[in-house]
Amino acid sequence: MLLRIMRHDWRCLAADRSAWALVALLGAFVGYGVSNGSAWVRFQRDTLATAAQDESQRLADLRRDAEDVDPKAEPAFAWLDPRTPGVVAGTRGQRFATAPPGPLAALDVGQADLYPFYFKMTNRTKQTFIAGDEIENPSNLLAGRFDLGFVVVQLFPLLILGLSYNLLSAEREQGTLAMTLAQPVRLRTLALGKVLARAALVLTLALALSIGGGLLAGVDLRRPDVLARLGLWAATVAGYGAFWFALALAVNALGRPSSTNAVVLAACWIALVVVAPALLNVAVTSLHPVPSRVELIGAIRDASAEASAEGSHLLARYYEDHPELAPASSAPVPADFLVKLQAVQKSVDETIEPVMARYDEQLARQQALVDRWRFLSPAVTAQEALNDVSGTSLARHKHFLAQVDAFHKEWQDFFIPRIMRRERFAPADYDAIPKFRFREQPLVEVAPRAGAALIGLAAPAVALGLAGLAALRRYPITG
Amino acid sequence: MIGRIARKEFTEMTRDGRFRAAAAVVAILLTASLAMGWKRHRDVDAERHAAALATRRQWLEQGTKNPHSAAHYGTYAFKPKTPLSMVDPGVDAYTGVAVWLEAHKQNEFRYRPAQDATAVARFGELSAAATLQLLLPLLIVLLAFPAFAGERDLGTLRQLLSLGVRPRDLAAGKAAGVVAALGLLLVPATAAGVLALALATGAGPLAAEVPRMAAMGLGYLLYYGAFVGIAVAVSAWAGTARTALLVLLAFWIANALIVPRIAVDVAKRLHPTPSALAFGQAVDRELKKGVDGHDPNDPGLAALKARVMREYGVDRMEELKIDFAGVTLQASEDHGNRVFDEHYGALWDAFARQDDVQRAAALASPLMAVRSLSMAAAGTEPDQHRDFAAAAEDYRRGMIRVMNEDIAEHGKGPDAEYLAGDDVWAKVPDFSYERPPFAGVAGRRWPDLAALAGWCAGAALLATAAVARVRAF
Repeated sequence: MLLRIMRHDWRCLAADRSAWALVALLGAFVGYGVSNGSAWVRFQRDTLATAAQDESQRLADLRRDAEDVDPKAEPAFAWLDPRTPGVVAGTRGQRFATAPPGPLAALDVGQADLYPFYFKMTNRTKQTFIAGDEIENPSNLLAGRFDLGFVVVQLFPLLILGLSYNLLSAEREQGTLAMTLAQPVRLRTLALGKVLARAALVLTLALALSIGGGLLAGVDLRRPDVLARLGLWAATVAGYGAFWFALALAVNALGRPSSTNAVVLAACWIALVVVAPALLNVAVTSLHPVPSRVELIGAIRDASAEASAEGSHLLARYYEDHPELAPASSAPVPADFLVKLQAVQKSVDETIEPVMARYDEQLARQQALVDRWRFLSPAVTAQEALNDVSGTSLARHKHFLAQVDAFHKEWQDFFIPRIMRRERFAPADYDAIPKFRFREQPLVEVAPRAGAALIGLAAPAVALGLAGLAALRRYPITG
Repeated sequence: MIGRIARKEFTEMTRDGRFRAAAAVVAILLTASLAMGWKRHRDVDAERHAAALATRRQWLEQGTKNPHSAAHYGTYAFKPKTPLSMVDPGVDAYTGVAVWLEAHKQNEFRYRPAQDATAVARFGELSAAATLQLLLPLLIVLLAFPAFAGERDLGTLRQLLSLGVRPRDLAAGKAAGVVAALGLLLVPATAAGVLALALATGAGPLAAEVPRMAAMGLGYLLYYGAFVGIAVAVSAWAGTARTALLVLLAFWIANALIVPRIAVDVAKRLHPTPSALAFGQAVDRELKKGVDGHDPNDPGLAALKARVMREYGVDRMEELKIDFAGVTLQASEDHGNRVFDEHYGALWDAFARQDDVQRAAALASPLMAVRSLSMAAAGTEPDQHRDFAAAAEDYRRGMIRVMNEDIAEHGKGPDAEYLAGDDVWAKVPDFSYERPPFAGVAGRRWPDLAALAGWCAGAALLATAAVARVRAF
């Protein structure tokens, strides 16, 4: 019986021009969203290719210059000498630490347009390279992108509500409900059939279009976990869609006229998609305010002024701490300035590290709060899950930053002893310069969060659906 | 007659529980966002003020060093928070808060506040402007969609028209009723806003904000006028209240959600900007073509030497009374400044053209116009960020010039390294910034006002036309 109702409803929908218009709109939005997302991914890939090319060119030049240098002659300019470790580490031999676009970034840009995705590694302090931003017009960031994530989270519910706000009320208003129920069919079966008919249509379309679009946009299936991520994406979209269908059913079950249903559902959409996230943001930023970066600037400047003033003293102390690095008195002194600089940098890093950590800690607290309270708004739940699955979330950026930190340490461990020993680079050393290799955030980190989101979407959907079906018992068939 | 209809509508709406609930929600959100805006403004203002003092102190007390080291140490310019940013924070969260002013280099602003926030912030900040731009139009839609269509559904429209009420009067009365109900919400909210502003700034600066507030207020009034007109028109045209509601909601969705985001991506495609990496590489390439202040063997140097010797009427560099290093450094600065002017100028022009495309989208969405106007009046638009950035850059150039001139003048001494002290640092004046006068801003942003006026007038015409042809059933 359910199937028969669904088939009948499909026929009705197919005959309805406005339903076709909505479906066409959905298709257009999905297409436009995917094309924008893939434009962003292309931009990132091109930028990373430029970076890689810049790096290999620079390192090739460096090697060539190093081979050309007469080993006996003193270099004319110590700060350009390709054999000085400080020069290699801080300017001429710098390598990039890069994160490729997330596995499904073409589907959901998420937070990725806010955070840098490559850093030029240096032996200097972390704060000298970490604060670089991608160029972007602030008004673009304010408005946000028209990516598939936006289509799913904000527009998709509106299409669902547009198709199902008058699920039962229209039949009642047309007078067909009483006639239909004169047949041997229960109201519940009828309502469920109508919801399922629409859900099957809309969800199939949304999933097919988004996954198809993603494949067209160049989501690389060969990358590990991509299939699993696509599965999670599909499940999230389905769960989110189910929530809105269930809500429409529940509101319909209240037995009000179509226009009241439309008002109530529009109000629900506003409350859950616009107001609740804004209030949640207010709550997390008030409970765990991130201190102003203005303070950080002051702290960095005080620390570096102090350290520079104490430069020679710091250098002496450094050699006390690391007697093994102290040069023999006869060793060549390629660039005393760089050695002193290194000692200063280390001191600044040590002073600034705890200050920088406070920002991360507060943001982590905010994120933890969001993780707990996101279930209050299915829109937030879905957006967070889509960002997670796509690899465009804050967590993935942190995952990248942790690797950058490790790479910075590796870089310093490689260069600083050479700088402090006042060595010169040997030909073999150029090959040994550390390279950055990005490791994608593993699925085991992503899946539990996305799984919780799925439960957070499905549970209210089921609850609303059941409540709606239960409320149908008192549904006024006529009048 | 219009007055009587308006009074009836007003009474009906204010007695309606749905209006009361919706108005209460909007009022709470407005009050909360104003309170938060006020607190944020107070905190940030105090903090930036303290930071400006601290950075000045750091500059003045940096101790004895070569002026070029001082130029490398540099200073910071902190972007001030405008009073009206408590109503409309504009792009503040997406522009950096501070810029490092140092030798050789024009830097980008750093630390966008949005980076220190979770993804939830991207749904939109809770601000008075967001409430006024997004939620109030929705309230208008909910209030006005049944104006004609509702009466028609109930069958009362026929009765009304049979009484001899002119449809035009009916429409005007209904619109006036909606406006009165909105006024009930907006007048106290505006008063609260002005009060919060007065608390935050004091009465004197408040007076200076009056033209900005007036422009903002006018913009919002025209925006709401457009919505009321469109709502009445659709209500008269639509067959049923349901159709009226759906059409109006669709318009709201297009206005608030779809057009703004489409405009962003279209603008980006029409006027692409380089990646930070490509931008930096292009700047570096150009910089290398100038005189390198750090490299004594630079080929451009010989010409410079010849010029300076001619200027001072000497034949040999040793006879120069000035320190040539200062001249070289300034020459490389001058070259750099030309490069920065060109590249940053092109970048900002591209941003401005992108913003123009977004503003042109006001033809499809009045939100684009009111948002642009509101940000401009609040002083939180990209153009005024650019103005501040330009002022900071001017200050940087002046500061570096003072350092280089001091090296040229005093650098040639018996000591190997010239060291300067506090008196030289004090020669650089403190950084102070005056916002561009509102007349200039208004001169640039009048098209937004014109677009809103156009929407409002168009909506009124549409309403008149639709009402003239209204059918009773």
